[in-house]
Amino acid sequence: MKQSYNLSLSSEATKNLSLLDSVKGKIRRYLQQRSVLQHLLRIVLYVILLTMAFIYLAPLLVMVMNSLKDVEEIRNGSLLSLPQDPSLAAWSKAWGSACTGSTCEGIAPFFINSFKIVLPAVAISTILGALNGYVLSMWRFKGSDLFFGLLLFGCFIPFQVVLIPMAMTLGWLGLASSAGGLILVHVIYGMAFTTLFFRNYYVGLPRELISAAKIDGAGFFLIFWRIILPLSPPIIVVTVIWQFTQIWNDFLFGVVFSGADNLPVTVALNNLVNTSFGGKEYNVDMAAALLAALPTIVVYVFAGKYFVRGLSAGAVKGA
Amino acid sequence: MAALSIENVKKSYGSTQVLKGINIAIEKGEFLVLIGPSGCGKSTMMNSIAGLESITEGRILIGGDDVTHANPKDRDIAMVFQSYALYPNMTVRGNISFGLEVRKMPKPEREKQVLKVAQLLQIEHLLERKPAQLSGGQRQRVAMGRALAREPKIYLFDEPLSNLDAKLRVEMRAEIKKLHQRLGTTIVYVTHDQVEAMTLADRIAVMRDGLLQQLASPQEIYDRPANMFVAGFMGSPPMNFIEVTIQSSESLTISAGDQQHQLPIPQGYDLSNYIGKSVILGIRPEMITEPVQHKAGLPEVSILQLKTLLTEAMGADTMVLTQLGDKELNCRINPSHGVQINQYSEFMFDMSKAVFFDPQTEVLI
Repeated sequence: MKQSYNLSLSSEATKNLSLLDSVKGKIRRYLQQRSVLQHLLRIVLYVILLTMAFIYLAPLLVMVMNSLKDVEEIRNGSLLSLPQDPSLAAWSKAWGSACTGSTCEGIAPFFINSFKIVLPAVAISTILGALNGYVLSMWRFKGSDLFFGLLLFGCFIPFQVVLIPMAMTLGWLGLASSAGGLILVHVIYGMAFTTLFFRNYYVGLPRELISAAKIDGAGFFLIFWRIILPLSPPIIVVTVIWQFTQIWNDFLFGVVFSGADNLPVTVALNNLVNTSFGGKEYNVDMAAALLAALPTIVVYVFAGKYFVRGLSAGAVKGA
Repeated sequence: MAALSIENVKKSYGSTQVLKGINIAIEKGEFLVLIGPSGCGKSTMMNSIAGLESITEGRILIGGDDVTHANPKDRDIAMVFQSYALYPNMTVRGNISFGLEVRKMPKPEREKQVLKVAQLLQIEHLLERKPAQLSGGQRQRVAMGRALAREPKIYLFDEPLSNLDAKLRVEMRAEIKKLHQRLGTTIVYVTHDQVEAMTLADRIAVMRDGLLQQLASPQEIYDRPANMFVAGFMGSPPMNFIEVTIQSSESLTISAGDQQHQLPIPQGYDLSNYIGKSVILGIRPEMITEPVQHKAGLPEVSILQLKTLLTEAMGADTMVLTQLGDKELNCRINPSHGVQINQYSEFMFDMSKAVFFDPQTEVLI
């Protein structure tokens, strides 16, 4: 009785094993077929991605190539050919000796101008945005939602609309045609965005943190400094990159409000391209454009991953 | 002098009244539990005591000082939050000492205090960790440590155990009770868990719709609930309510379909004003059991035939859902006593702790 039981068990086991083998074979074949198809799809995907990347990068490539040629080569050859004898002459001219309107010192002095405007403007607008966001999320007052709504309008007002009122205001304040005036304009214009960023980030932090700190005896600024600010680096990075790019790349406010002594690099680039004695120096134009774009590119290269991380960080709980 | 007195406190948000005149006074060292269903105003009451929300009317006094309009930091209170609200950027040490630092306690004293509290709560080995590196139970301890470090007049606990799993909750509950006994602190504790309320409290304040329903010791709340809401809210499974007619000062009748059942009225219960009228009988499940020898023949005990609908084995007891007329009754029997589903069995009603409510006002008679 016992033996037959054992026998039947073992025969059942072998049956199960062979069944298992056949299933395994089927799965393997299926996976092989599937992987061939998947390989193909993968290749198609990469071809599409590479094509897109090339189309996107082509203008940059053309600019870099032509900035390394001399003017004759551009004039005789094609814009799309590779440089025969690459040199950085155009770059150094763009930097140090090209004419921008009446002066011929390249774009270097305007680089300094731009930094003088961008750094304080970014710093001030970020600090104010953080404080605004802190108040609008953690210290709500009667009408604070309305206040926030009105502030958001600032994000949607086109530059052109505010030019004349802004010019009049700067005139009243005695800041017309000065770096200070331009900084003020950028701070005001940027504050809507920075407030939005910080407020939306802080709304995701638990309100009980503030309650706990209040009971612990901390006041408005102490809570901000000791509790809220240490939790803010992701959103600070986002805001700084955003503001830096916006203000660095700004042309309109720069050309209108800066005055002759504080022209930012974007305005200088425009002047450089539009100033020509004899033939157009495409190589210098392109080198200057690349130089002017360099700081924002550098910022993205070094802080880009924090930017992406920060944009999604609001979803993560602070506690 | 009361450690905390809440005098006629009212609070409205626009036209909605959340607190409708609350009066509570607790003594130094007392453990008060505020309990009620969600939306009853218990958390608002707590936040008002803490000063996190302002009140519309009334006064709040802590240790005799009127703090109705004082800032949270000037009230000498500490609070443990449901979400713990630990500062994520600080270590455990930083969390515990932050309040002391803000209050300008010198560093050596601060260190000593942190160590003392950490030893008390057995979290010394966690002092250098960040809250994110702690388990739920450890965070709970740190949150308590932060409150204890300041040694305030009153501790406020806002559903502190509701984020813990069942086992840890029981452990921490005992821990809080021990801590209270050891330190003799004054505690106001908000919960919606009636087991927590029963086990922890010196007195329980049952709230509903912004009104205080009853303020009494756990046993009194359980044995003599002020009204049907309190009776139904405290106790699990809840008290059974049966509509009965008072026959005489000694007996009442229950009509179940065409049948009439007689039950005795507990001694000392004066229902003489209700003779011939119907009232609501409240009887706890543990007072309806299988017939037991030692109670047989007692004057306040009576046996009825009930149909069993459902049994739930709890281990120590078996809960039985029975039917009496169109009414379902919860009974609690010894697991060794078998009952058959859909069969009639004998159940013993011990009326010694029965209570009666007015059917109109639902108030205890």
